[in-house]
Amino acid sequence: MPKLSFFYYPGRRDVKGGIRARSRRGGFGTSWWALRWVKLLEDFDMGERLSRGKNYARRGQVASIDVRKGSVSAKVQGSDYDPYDVRITIRQISAANWKRVAKRLFERPVLAAEILSGRMPADIEEVFGRLGLSLLPGQTSDLKTGCSCYDWANPCKHIAAVYLLLGEEFDRDPFLIFRMRGIERAELLELAGLQDMSSESGDKASEEPAPEPLESDPDRFWTGDVWEDFGQAHIPQVAAALPKRLGSFPFWRGKETFLDEMEWMYGDASPAGRDAFLAERAEGPAGRGKSQGA
Amino acid sequence: MVLIILHAGELDGSLYAWGETPEGRTYYGGKIPAYKYGAGRSHLIGALKEAGIGQEMPRPMAVSAWLPAIRGEPVPSSRLVAEYPPPNGEPEVSGWAVLAVRLSAPEAMTLLGASDKRTIAPGVLAGADLGYWAGAMRLAGSLVARQRFLPGVTQASGKPRASWLPLFTGRDAQRLGGLARCMPSSGRALASPDLDRAPDSPPALVLERVISGMVDYMVRAAPGKTGILRRRRKIFDSVHDAWLNGLVTKSGSMSYEKNDISNLESQIAEWRRPVEVANRAPFRLCFRLEEPEEADDGDAIEEPNSDWFVRYLLQPYKDPSMLIPASKVWGGFRIIGCDDSRAREFLLLSLGQAAALSPAISAGAQDQMAGHALDAAGAYRFLTQEADALAQAGYGVMLPSWWTGKGTKARLSVRATVRSAATGTGTFTLDDVLGFNYEAAMGGQGISIEELERLAQLKSPLIRFRGRWVEADTEQIKAAVEFLKRKGGMGTLQDVIRMARDPEGVKDGIRVEVGATGQLAQILGGLDTGEPPVEIEPPEGFEGTLRPYQIRGYRWLAFLQGLGLGGCLADDMGLGKTVQALACVRNDWKGAGTGPVLLICPTSIINNWQREAARFAPGLPVMVHHGADRRRGKGFAGQAAQSAIVLSSYGLLQRDAKLLSGVEWRGVILDEAQNIKNPDTKQASAARNLKAGYRFALTGTPVENTVGELWSIMEFLNPGLLGTRASFRRDFLLPIQAEGSSAAAARLKGLASPFMMRRLKTDKSVIPDLPEKMEMNVVCPLTREQTSLYAAIVRETARQIYDSEGIQRRGIVLATLTRLKQVCNHPAHYLGDNSAIPARSGKLDRLTEMLEEIIEVGERALIFTQFAEMGHMLQRHIQERFGREAPFLHGGVPRARRDDMVEQFQKDGGPPVFILTLKAGGTGLNLTAANHVFHFDRWWNPAVENQATDRAFRIGQKQNVQVRKLVCAGTLEEKIDQMIRRKKRLAEEVVGSGEGWLTELSNEELRSLISLEEGA
Repeated sequence: MPKLSFFYYPGRRDVKGGIRARSRRGGFGTSWWALRWVKLLEDFDMGERLSRGKNYARRGQVASIDVRKGSVSAKVQGSDYDPYDVRITIRQISAANWKRVAKRLFERPVLAAEILSGRMPADIEEVFGRLGLSLLPGQTSDLKTGCSCYDWANPCKHIAAVYLLLGEEFDRDPFLIFRMRGIERAELLELAGLQDMSSESGDKASEEPAPEPLESDPDRFWTGDVWEDFGQAHIPQVAAALPKRLGSFPFWRGKETFLDEMEWMYGDASPAGRDAFLAERAEGPAGRGKSQGA
Repeated sequence: MVLIILHAGELDGSLYAWGETPEGRTYYGGKIPAYKYGAGRSHLIGALKEAGIGQEMPRPMAVSAWLPAIRGEPVPSSRLVAEYPPPNGEPEVSGWAVLAVRLSAPEAMTLLGASDKRTIAPGVLAGADLGYWAGAMRLAGSLVARQRFLPGVTQASGKPRASWLPLFTGRDAQRLGGLARCMPSSGRALASPDLDRAPDSPPALVLERVISGMVDYMVRAAPGKTGILRRRRKIFDSVHDAWLNGLVTKSGSMSYEKNDISNLESQIAEWRRPVEVANRAPFRLCFRLEEPEEADDGDAIEEPNSDWFVRYLLQPYKDPSMLIPASKVWGGFRIIGCDDSRAREFLLLSLGQAAALSPAISAGAQDQMAGHALDAAGAYRFLTQEADALAQAGYGVMLPSWWTGKGTKARLSVRATVRSAATGTGTFTLDDVLGFNYEAAMGGQGISIEELERLAQLKSPLIRFRGRWVEADTEQIKAAVEFLKRKGGMGTLQDVIRMARDPEGVKDGIRVEVGATGQLAQILGGLDTGEPPVEIEPPEGFEGTLRPYQIRGYRWLAFLQGLGLGGCLADDMGLGKTVQALACVRNDWKGAGTGPVLLICPTSIINNWQREAARFAPGLPVMVHHGADRRRGKGFAGQAAQSAIVLSSYGLLQRDAKLLSGVEWRGVILDEAQNIKNPDTKQASAARNLKAGYRFALTGTPVENTVGELWSIMEFLNPGLLGTRASFRRDFLLPIQAEGSSAAAARLKGLASPFMMRRLKTDKSVIPDLPEKMEMNVVCPLTREQTSLYAAIVRETARQIYDSEGIQRRGIVLATLTRLKQVCNHPAHYLGDNSAIPARSGKLDRLTEMLEEIIEVGERALIFTQFAEMGHMLQRHIQERFGREAPFLHGGVPRARRDDMVEQFQKDGGPPVFILTLKAGGTGLNLTAANHVFHFDRWWNPAVENQATDRAFRIGQKQNVQVRKLVCAGTLEEKIDQMIRRKKRLAEEVVGSGEGWLTELSNEELRSLISLEEGA
């Protein structure tokens, strides 16, 4: 509900700790699916608003984004004191169609495996295409956008900022596109007769080891058995492979790039671990035997 | 300091250190009874300081320790603390108050790093639980090195904390479980004083908490190159900034709005999700690379016409011997203990994640779950890159047997044939220049330049060459072709030895094998087998008979000596390293002008060497370079040049380094060469700086087992053989110790083994040559303190003996003998003042050195003394030095206790040392668990000593027994010993068991007997 106002608004207010685009210049997103998503925004023919939107996204003006089935809501800090509400609604794929998609997907289980573990198979659109569908929204009419700002144009720069950040998130977690198009991970699994383990919490308790009373036999109490397999201390050539495999952090707001930070933290940690494994201490054999006869 | 045994137990995620001691503090003021052996505040802190902790003073607090007790009487961890209560009841666990210090992660790691041996410092011992936690630290270090951890947020007493959390997947989960099962209960016996029942936390949880704490500390404290985030800031723009910052600060605490923190927690959970899910999988996904079917034409070089295949298999954790094709499970095959839909989903998720590591999985995605096909380049990429990444991530990987992890077994190599010795003199020395011819081979079969070039043209990394898979690395082939075109090269004998012993030692990226003929081949063969190719006769002028294995050792040493190479003789203690080395020196000695051999040994055995040389090689002029009046400057060089052997100590090797390195030695021999095992020490570098024609190292400790120590000794023996210290660390030490590389271990063994000879008493080739009982004298020096005490007594009593007669004289003589014996034993024994023990008695120092070797190899010893006071001192010293119980049997021990001592000693794993007085232990007992007997002081009656010796050497003894009688050089001990040997008859005539015969000696005889021989 835009209020009428005769004042000129000087521009955005800074927001602290907003979601920061990883992109510093040029485009948003690197994967083909993210690029296709961003391309659709360009089809709206927004002119200057698009570059202002990019600017907003890079400056972290977007305070939050929430992706739900069929819709995205977000808060964007603009020139007003309160952030604006942005909402993007995406045309959902019908339940019947999802059923057909799932059937096709699980005929090629590796495809399903990739999607479920957060990867996007190269030929996914082929699967959808054969059914006359498209995973990514194909035309501007598939989207409805709205913003609480004063700009009469739609999409406005606030919407653009949210839209672009979404593109970057799709890089990280392509399943967000599935969710936007109307299906949750568990539902997709269910269509193949599987249940979603990742949301499972019930059996965690049963995995906890049972309490164990202390040994009362003095020998066994004071001395345990011998264990010799401690693995090895091979330092990986590529640092932080594990976080890199998990991908960048969801809706990252930090000043520094998450994975870059992880890379040096992991890289620095490895030699310290190897020293502990070899029982070598950086400062040399301190304290040992030096007070002989004291 | 009174003995203390340190323990550590987990409490609230941290390790707490506490101590047990015979003189426990019995009052704490709390409600629970105090543990009567619990160490008090200052004792505990003092002990922790010995272990290197104490920058900031830890604050001890009372906690309860739930320990085993019988009828309310606690059972300590060791008899060193107190006698066990009589076993007349069922043991129960009950709670006692002890003082404990909470250890921060770095403090815990310092303590555990110092706990690799039983003794942290004299009188400060490490309990078994410390050794256990040291293992946990190794596992934590391994996880950190391999980067098996993830950032997260934990709650510490209600406050959020940025933490690093270890990840236990695959093998690491098994390691965690296995290590947890080995935890001694004492590791989880501590509890808050409020708890009114024994703690029962499952070991796996306790262990995980401790490892998590260590991992978290290691990652956040790792010295940062960038360190940009390590700033003390309080206000952050986002919770993500606060989190990143908290991950590298000391405390890790983060203060941020609750909402933001819980958002962060769910984001972390979402981010980690793939790992968590994979963690709960009931099986492991495995990838098996299958090679193409063999083509049937017999062409020597072929490209396969069918495809490589990577098959997907599932290996249930519960039954790892099973391998189920993934396609079967996907098709509905039931895995026992895992329901159908779960199995299929885990399979999907595992495969999806694997696709991130091996792109071929999605590229080659087929309709079925069977696997994917690859071309040769893809197979090569799988072998060289993806397999490793998949294995690191916890997937099973099965590769063909012709793949070694680094390449195909059949490899391209260059064979270097040595043409001839350039000098043509017929004998080689290290510096002679030799010529080589080169030819290439693939998997041992010759290959021409044309064939090599054809291989390169195929542009396929994996090719079948005469029926075997070979790697066709164009770079390598190019290097080989260049080698061949060069047609030859030059090198020294050392180069040849290195090539022959270490073909993997990378030379232009290819394996180089040595083909030698004639004399050089004989030398290489000799190095390989330890059998010299030429006959080496036992030396003339050597008095004494070498046992067959000693002749082998002597010939081996002489062989290396002739080549100017260094050798380490590491025979077990008692096998006669000294005589083998002496035989070698004697053999080499061609009279004055030969040049002197420098022999460095610990001060405590200089006398022994001197006497052994005089006995076995009486013709050799020996010069002792030791003591305040030793020669320096020109006088030294002059005298040395006249000698065959110059004897000196490690202390002087360092102090007189300049003097000693100024001489061109004929050879240098280091006895007890473990003294230079640390290459950083001054004595090690002084040893390396000596100029010598050949070098020997003698040691009884298995130096070859410790990779780091091997370099130092080898660098002394054969400089450059194992490379520089840095390259050795990179090529051998880290691969072997940090990565468990058996290939590097094999390379090292290949290089070092020609220069090491180690025989054990139990070797089949040695046993038949060994007498069942070996008796030897160990001649020990007096310390300066002992010398002056000894001289004072002699001065004081000589007159008295002259002036007295009859019974009075007898009394004075016996008293004097006793006092002198006491001085020889230990100044504190004579003074009776309960003063410090270590480093004041040459005899005790030597005994300690020998016990160290004995205990290290797990053997056991009896020590006899005639003095109860000395027995107590020995007991205290040995227990504090080695941290092991050393029972002492003397006249005051009641019969039941005595039987118990004997029984304990005879048991497997019993105390390593048993101390006895001659009177109480000399007869009747059966102590065959010992194979070493020491007579710390002498009872001048062989019959009595032999009877004591027979405690070990009697029916039931399965090992050879080594008997050593310790005597002090130049003192009455040595002289009476000589007298008994000279007059064997005398010994036989002695009646009874007394030493009375000594009082019958004339004044003159007595005077020369007790006076201190100069130069001792």
